[in-house]
Amino acid sequence: MDLLGLGSKVDIDFLLDPQGQRKQIEVKLDDNTNKRILQYIYYDGEDVGGTVQIKLKKNSKVEHQGIRLEFIGQIEMLNDRSTVHEFINLSKLLAFPGELTENTSIDFHFPNVEKPYESYIGINVKLRYFLRLTIIRRFTNTVCERDICVQQLSQYPEINNSIKMEVGIEDCLHIEFEYNKSKYHLKDVIVGKIYFLLVRIKIKHMEIAILKKESTGSGPNIYAETETIAKYEIMDGAPVRGESIPIRLFLGGYDLTPTMKDVQRKFSVRYFLNLVLVDEEERRYFKQQEIVLWRKQEKVKQKNSAKQYAHFEPPNPAIKPEDSATGISGSENSPVYGPSSSGNNSDSTSD
Amino acid sequence: MSMQKAVDNSRSSNAGLSMDNQEKLLADALQNVRQHAFAMKRVLDQQSVMEGLKHAANMLGELRTSLLSPKNYYELHVVVVEELHHLELYLTDEFEHGRGSHDLYEVVQYAGNIVPRLYLLITIGHVYIRANELPRREVLRDLVEMCRGVQHPLRGLFLRNYLLQCVKSLLPDTEEENQEATKTGTILDSLDFILLNFSEMNKLWVRMQYQGHTRDLQRREQERRELRILVGTNLVRLSELECVNVERYKTIVLPKIMEQVVSCRDSIAQEYLMECIIQVFPDEYHLNTLNEFLKACRELSASVNIRNILISLIDRLTAYSTRDGSQQNIPENIQLFDIFSEQIAEVVKSRINMPPEDIVALQSALLNLSLKCYRDQFEYGNKVLENTRKIFDNIALDTQVQTGTPAAKELVKMLKIPIDCYDILDVLKLNHYKLVLQLLSYRERHTVCMYIINSILDKETIIPTAEQVTQLFELLLTLIIDQTDSPLETSRQTITNEDFVEEQNLVARLYNNFQAPNDPDQQYHIIKICQDTFKNGGLERMRFTYPPIIMQAYALTFRYKNIREQDEKWEKKCQKLFQLCNQLINTLTKLETNDLPLRLYLQGALAASEIGSENAETIAYEFFSQAYTLYEEQAGDTRAQSASLTLLIGTLEKVTCFAEENHSTLRQSLTQAATRLVKRPDQVRTLLLCTHLFWSAQRLNESTQKSEQVHDNEKVLACLKKATKLTTQIMDQSVQVQLYNELLNTYIYFFNQNLPDIDITLLNSLIEKLQNEMSKISSNENDEFIRNQIQKTFDYLRQQSQLEKFQGLQINN
Repeated sequence: MDLLGLGSKVDIDFLLDPQGQRKQIEVKLDDNTNKRILQYIYYDGEDVGGTVQIKLKKNSKVEHQGIRLEFIGQIEMLNDRSTVHEFINLSKLLAFPGELTENTSIDFHFPNVEKPYESYIGINVKLRYFLRLTIIRRFTNTVCERDICVQQLSQYPEINNSIKMEVGIEDCLHIEFEYNKSKYHLKDVIVGKIYFLLVRIKIKHMEIAILKKESTGSGPNIYAETETIAKYEIMDGAPVRGESIPIRLFLGGYDLTPTMKDVQRKFSVRYFLNLVLVDEEERRYFKQQEIVLWRKQEKVKQKNSAKQYAHFEPPNPAIKPEDSATGISGSENSPVYGPSSSGNNSDSTSD
Repeated sequence: MSMQKAVDNSRSSNAGLSMDNQEKLLADALQNVRQHAFAMKRVLDQQSVMEGLKHAANMLGELRTSLLSPKNYYELHVVVVEELHHLELYLTDEFEHGRGSHDLYEVVQYAGNIVPRLYLLITIGHVYIRANELPRREVLRDLVEMCRGVQHPLRGLFLRNYLLQCVKSLLPDTEEENQEATKTGTILDSLDFILLNFSEMNKLWVRMQYQGHTRDLQRREQERRELRILVGTNLVRLSELECVNVERYKTIVLPKIMEQVVSCRDSIAQEYLMECIIQVFPDEYHLNTLNEFLKACRELSASVNIRNILISLIDRLTAYSTRDGSQQNIPENIQLFDIFSEQIAEVVKSRINMPPEDIVALQSALLNLSLKCYRDQFEYGNKVLENTRKIFDNIALDTQVQTGTPAAKELVKMLKIPIDCYDILDVLKLNHYKLVLQLLSYRERHTVCMYIINSILDKETIIPTAEQVTQLFELLLTLIIDQTDSPLETSRQTITNEDFVEEQNLVARLYNNFQAPNDPDQQYHIIKICQDTFKNGGLERMRFTYPPIIMQAYALTFRYKNIREQDEKWEKKCQKLFQLCNQLINTLTKLETNDLPLRLYLQGALAASEIGSENAETIAYEFFSQAYTLYEEQAGDTRAQSASLTLLIGTLEKVTCFAEENHSTLRQSLTQAATRLVKRPDQVRTLLLCTHLFWSAQRLNESTQKSEQVHDNEKVLACLKKATKLTTQIMDQSVQVQLYNELLNTYIYFFNQNLPDIDITLLNSLIEKLQNEMSKISSNENDEFIRNQIQKTFDYLRQQSQLEKFQGLQINN
């Protein structure tokens, strides 16, 4: 960045939480290195303030045309870096043009900053908030950015009906399933049951998967990605008519975000529960059902180990969405969903 | 990843089930388990719970296999559970030291595969309950519900078995009042838990039956039988709960179990579980839930062997009621018999195709129950027998049960029950016993009759009244008269057939048990009954059956004589008895041998003489003359003739009731008969015996009405002389010597009796004669006996020679 070596004269640091009270969160970087860094967590409407420390090296002086601090919220399309959409840009001049001769600390404060969306790093899209300090120079500005993480807390949903549905294939399989809610917070537990009304196929096992569907762009340029976040066996063996199989799936251990709909008309992130029955001939019968995820204000107690444990049998990230290859996926609310041949489904290639 | 594995499994499943592969598969699985277990223990040693759980989950992953046979899966399961125990101990220890993590119950639920997940959940749940980390009641509820996720029969059964095993000591066993109860749970929670687990396990177990090829059905049923204990353990656990009482058992436990048992409609399960219920729960419970239990029995699948179930229950309650020798164990308000009786009738009615042997076996059990639990209530036993008869009559009226069939065998068993637990007098009160007995064919009837007789003889049961004797005979008719359905031809029913002889000997021996101790008239009736009965049995049977009657009749006359003071008709009664005997013996004379009637006649004469009633002489004479006639008819067999004659002589010597007229006739006849014998030695010997008829035999002095000895010197001497003369004519020297010796002995006897005309000189000459003759015979072994006899005579004489009376006796040698 410092093409002329000038930047080396300055070291910029943001002190956002001098008292050490703000919570931090590990965030995966988008550079595919699996590195994680810690970011402070902010909520909508919260002040963003702190101190910028500018350290000069070797007693050098820095002449500048002013020091500007911006608070930016933007959406980046990862497959098209050029498209950046800023939806927030607050700017402050921290210093008038002049000369920095010594290490300088400048306090700043953006009061009641509106942060309408949750930070998000997806496959094709990234929504980020950051502070950008610019020391305006004659030739090249010295720029330093610092990302923060914004979490969007939601109220308890006023309406939260259970999802209950009877589905089946005529004279072959009829089940009734029920998830206790349609909206779950991120540390929630999905509780439900599958009731078998008719079983004429030899089922081998049944699983429930959490699918995350990210769609970006609009019009003809929609990119949709489906990711299997979790795959969870809920039944082993073949049930008979009248059996009722319990479901209980803890969400806290998985990497989930709140459902995001049409954020700035740029992207959406939606979650689905996919109930899959596999018969002895490896045919799969499934039904997808959207659930809404939301973020609840966290309690003080943190459960670390849950997350840790959940990763010991990680949902294979390479798994491609199952419905991309299968034929007769039931459309939403459709009572019928069909078998798909095992040959070209993702599992056989998942190794 | 896990999915891929499942695909592999299914592809190799055909090969996997072959037997050769099984051992290898098991070995591989065990190897994997050990590796994971080792890793698990290592990281646990380093206090790394999370890592430990991961390895545990991997280890448990081996239990997901579908390839192992139930037996091998069991082997694997044992090892896995053992290793899992390490984890449990580690976690328990952590909690005891205050280091336990609080979120493991949630953590383990992230495991992607259900089988390892649930094993871990159960393990953690167990630890958490023990550490009071989570409320016991909720955890139990949760565990048993979550286990529904495993619907694979084998894996599900073992999983739930592990659950049951883990919670064994944790099930709340307290009453409801407890304040703490909401958290720790009460007995009701335990009941819910086990009952749910039980029905789920049973469903899984039953489901095994219908999975896979029909050609493997037999193997599958075998495998199911091997696994049944897993299901039964639930019931055992229920029975171990202390807070389960009769009331709870009746209102909660049994109805739930039965609901499952009945609704599963699987005969293997139903048979096993019913048996299991009977065996694991206490008798009191059964007593209080009989109706419920039996009603459920009727609803069982038609292929269930209901007979074994019911019999098992009846036997158990029977044993219970008779334990400690008391019959107090059955509460009075429980009409055990009525309940069983009605319910069994219902069961029989509801199962049209029930084989007769099963029905009989049920009735047997019922009979056993009624006899043992209600010893004094004969109407119960009777009712069972009546029902049994009815059942057969309904099938085919008046048709015998074919010999050798299972039903016949069961009936025999049934009929033996009363014999074993009652004495015969009580059995006779069961008046339907006979009717059931009549259902049987000859061979089985015979078996039962023999059994009855042997039992009476073994127990030495006395049958005291004529009525009872009559009833007994009705039972034993098979042995007493010829049977139309006997497979043996009547020609075989003779004395040459050993079985027949044995059988009739038993019947005869039975007679000794017919005794009316203080009632001679009753005894008389018994005799009459016996006669009336036995007379239909044919001559071959009479040979065995008449003598005891006759002897009994003689014995009875003595009893009448003893009570003559009380019974003024005693003489008449005796007369009647003798007439009866005469008639009976007369029948026996038709036999090919005269020996038996002859002896009986003589015995009669003796008896009459002893009784000494008014007409004793007439009777005795009649009897004696009959005997003599028989003797006369006996011509041909010289040996028998001489033996009979000996008997006649001996008897006459003892009979005291003859007046001179009769006595002399008889003694003369006998003496003549003696001389008419064919063989010389026989003549001599009988003559020597006849001497006594003229000496010590007694006759009745008509003037004094007292008996006196005959003492006819001359006749004695005549007999002796005749005998001596005959002896000299004998050719065989050793026989002659023997007879001389016997002659000498007789002389010595009469010398001692002071018979005139017999003096020392006579004796001396006889001694000399004997010694001379003796020296003539060669000494070979055959004569050794004779020498001994003679030696004894001389020894006696030497001894006597000291006496004054024997002075002058000359014995050389």
